[in-house]
Amino acid sequence: MTITITDFLVAFGVAFCGWALQTSVSGITRKTVARMQKRYGPKWYQNFRDIFKLLNKRAITHGWVYDFGVIMALAGIIGTAMFTPVANIVVFKGYDNFFVFVYLFAVGMLGMAMSASGSGNPLASIGVMRALTQMVGYEVPFMVIVLALIHVRDTSSISALVDIQQASGWNLVVMPIGTIVGFICLMGMLGKKPFDTYIAPAELASGPMVEYGGKQLGMLMIMHEIATFVEISLFVNLFLGGGSNILEFLVKYFIVYTLASYVSNVLGRFKIDQVVTFYYKIPILLALIQAGMLVIFGWGV
Amino acid sequence: MAKKANIKKDKVKKIVIDKSKSIIDAPSGMFSDKINEPFAHEMIVSKDRSENLTPKQRKRKWKSMANYFSANSLWMLMYCTGCCAIELPQAMTSRYDMERLGMGPMATPRQADILLITGYLSLKTLRRLIYTYEQMSEPKYVVGFGPCTLNGGIYHDSHAVINQLDQYVPIDLYIAGCMPKPEAVMNGFQDLIDLIEVGEATGWKDYHARYEWYKQNQKEALGEVMIHDEFHE
Amino acid sequence: MMNSTNRPGMNEMVNELKARFNVEEVTFVQDHEAHVDLHRKDLHEALTYMKQNGFRQLSAVTCIDWPNEKIFQLIFNIYDWSKGNRFIFRVKIDREEAMFTTITNIYGGAKYYEREVHEFFGVVFEGNDSALKQLFLEQWDDLPPLRKDFDSRAYSDRKYVKREYKTSFGEKGGEPFERN
Repeated sequence: MTITITDFLVAFGVAFCGWALQTSVSGITRKTVARMQKRYGPKWYQNFRDIFKLLNKRAITHGWVYDFGVIMALAGIIGTAMFTPVANIVVFKGYDNFFVFVYLFAVGMLGMAMSASGSGNPLASIGVMRALTQMVGYEVPFMVIVLALIHVRDTSSISALVDIQQASGWNLVVMPIGTIVGFICLMGMLGKKPFDTYIAPAELASGPMVEYGGKQLGMLMIMHEIATFVEISLFVNLFLGGGSNILEFLVKYFIVYTLASYVSNVLGRFKIDQVVTFYYKIPILLALIQAGMLVIFGWGV
Repeated sequence: MAKKANIKKDKVKKIVIDKSKSIIDAPSGMFSDKINEPFAHEMIVSKDRSENLTPKQRKRKWKSMANYFSANSLWMLMYCTGCCAIELPQAMTSRYDMERLGMGPMATPRQADILLITGYLSLKTLRRLIYTYEQMSEPKYVVGFGPCTLNGGIYHDSHAVINQLDQYVPIDLYIAGCMPKPEAVMNGFQDLIDLIEVGEATGWKDYHARYEWYKQNQKEALGEVMIHDEFHE
Repeated sequence: MMNSTNRPGMNEMVNELKARFNVEEVTFVQDHEAHVDLHRKDLHEALTYMKQNGFRQLSAVTCIDWPNEKIFQLIFNIYDWSKGNRFIFRVKIDREEAMFTTITNIYGGAKYYEREVHEFFGVVFEGNDSALKQLFLEQWDDLPPLRKDFDSRAYSDRKYVKREYKTSFGEKGGEPFERN
C-alpha cells in the first residue's frame, strides 16, 4: 500500500489525541485517588497545567547529549504512538506489527537513558540502570506470553490479532492466566508501584529525572504520557479485544489505567532485586504454564 | 466542604505584602531605605485583592497565560530547615490537601518552583540554601515561614542564626505565626498563587537585578559561599 | 542524690574504681547512673577498665566552662547495654591551656565528639588527627561560641543585618500601629 501525507497527519493526530487522552485520564485518576484518600484532589486538567507550566519555564542545559536525548525520546515515542491501532483506526495498515512496537519503543527509552546519563548526575545513572534492570525483569514473561499468542494465531499484526479477538472471543477469556501476567508486566512498564523502583523520589531523588527541570522535564512528561498511552493501548489490543468502535476502546482504556493506578496506590515499593526476583518467579512461571496450555495442548484456541 | 472554604477567597481575610511599599519596586540597582520601615507597615490586611487592581493590571491578569500556569502548578522542594516544617505534613495530607491548589512535593531543586524556608537558618544551612536556590529553574518563588526568616525570631541573638533572610535571597511572601498553623500555610499559598497570577511575585527577577548586592551580603555573613567540608572534597 | 544504690553491678563497679584509681567523688544521680569525678591522669585507664567490663558504648563527650574557677570540666558518658548502667566521668582541666589527650584509641567514636568540643570550647585533643578540622561552624572567626566569655548577642549584632523598627514599645511609645 502507498502511504500518503494524509496518513501521516492522521498518525500525528493519533499520537496527539493519545497524549490528550492519557493526560486527561491520569488527571481524573488523580482526582479519584484523592477522593479515596478523603482529599478533595486537584482539577482533572491539572496535568495539562503542569506540562504547560514546565514548558513555560526557563531551561538550562547540561550539554548537547542531554538536550538531544530528550528530543530523541519524545520523537521515538511519538513515532511509536503513530503506529498504534486505536479501535478501527489503523493508520499504517500492515505495519502495525508487534515487533515494530518493541523496536520503536526502545528508541524512546534509549533516548531518555542517554539524556539522563548525559546530565552527569550519579543518581540519574543509578536510575537508568535500575530502569534497564527492571526492563530485563518484565520483558521475559511478557515476551513468553505474546510469542505464544503470536504462534497460536499465526500473525504478529496487532490489528489482525484484534480482528481475531472480535470474531472468536477476547484473549482475556482464551488465556486468563496470560492476561494476569500481562497486567503485572504492564505495571512494570508503566513504572507504577510496586515497580517504581527506578523513580523512587525519596531514595534516588526521582532517578533518571533528577537533573531535569523546565522545558526538558515538560517534554519528558509529554513523552511519559504518550508512552503510557502506547503501553495501555497495546494491552487493550492484545488481551481485551481492542474495540469495535472508539467508545468501547476508550472505556477499556480507562478501566485498565484506573485499575493499574488503584493497585499501585495501595502498594509499597519493591527494591530492585526484589523486582527482578519477583518477575523471574511468579509471572514467568505463570507465563510458561499459559504458553504450554496454548501451544502444546491448544486449550482455548 | 473544603472546596468552599478555600476557593471562596474573597471572604477570607488575609495578610499579604503590599508590594507598592516593599523594596522590590525600588528603582533597579538602588536600595531604598524602605527596608527600615516597620514590618507592620509592609504587611497590610487587605479585604479583597481584586479591588486593589487597576484596570491595566486586571487586563494583564486575564491575558497572562504564563502566569496562570505558573500559579496553578506550584511544585515545592522537599527541603525544610526549622520547626515550621512540622506544619507542612498536615497541609499536604488529607486534612488540608495542598494538591487541590496544584501543589505537590518534588524531589530535586531542578524540578521545583517554590522553596519553602520553614524557620530559622543557621549559617551552615544558608550556604546549602543558596546553592539550592540557584539550582532551581526560573521562574522560582521563595516563601518564608515565621518570624525567624523575618527578624531572627527567638534566635535573634544567636551566634549561628542569620536574622534577615531577605538580605541573602529574595522572598516573595512571608507567612506569619510561630509556627504558622496549617490554615495560615494554606492561606499563604493561596496568596502566593494570587501574587503570581497578577505577576507580582518577582523575587527571582530581583535576584538578577541586584545580584551583586545579594552576593555581597552573602559574603559578609558567610565569609565565603562555597562549601568546604569533607563531604564535598 | 544518693550515696549508694542496690542496683546490681553499680556498687561493685564504684568500689573497684575507688580501689584502682584516684577517685575524687562519687554521686549517684539515679540508681543506675553515677557521676564519678576523677583526676585527669587516671581517666584513660579508667575508661579502658570500664570498656573491658561491659561499658562498650560512649554516649557523649562534652564540656562545661567554669570561668570563675578557671577550669573546663570534660564529661565522658558511657553505657553498659548488658546491665543498663550508666557512668559519667568528669575531669577538670586548665582553662588557659585547654589540652587533653584523645580517647579515640579507646572509643573510636569519640573522634567527632572531640571535634565538637574543640569547635565549641577550644579544647585541643592531642592525638586526634581530625580534632582541629571544622565540623559544625564553617569558617568560624571568633572565640569558641560556647565559652562563657563569648557574647553571642554582640557577635550577632556585629555580623548579621538586623531589621530596624521605627515603632518602639517602650515608655514613650512609638508611631501608632495601624491596621486597615
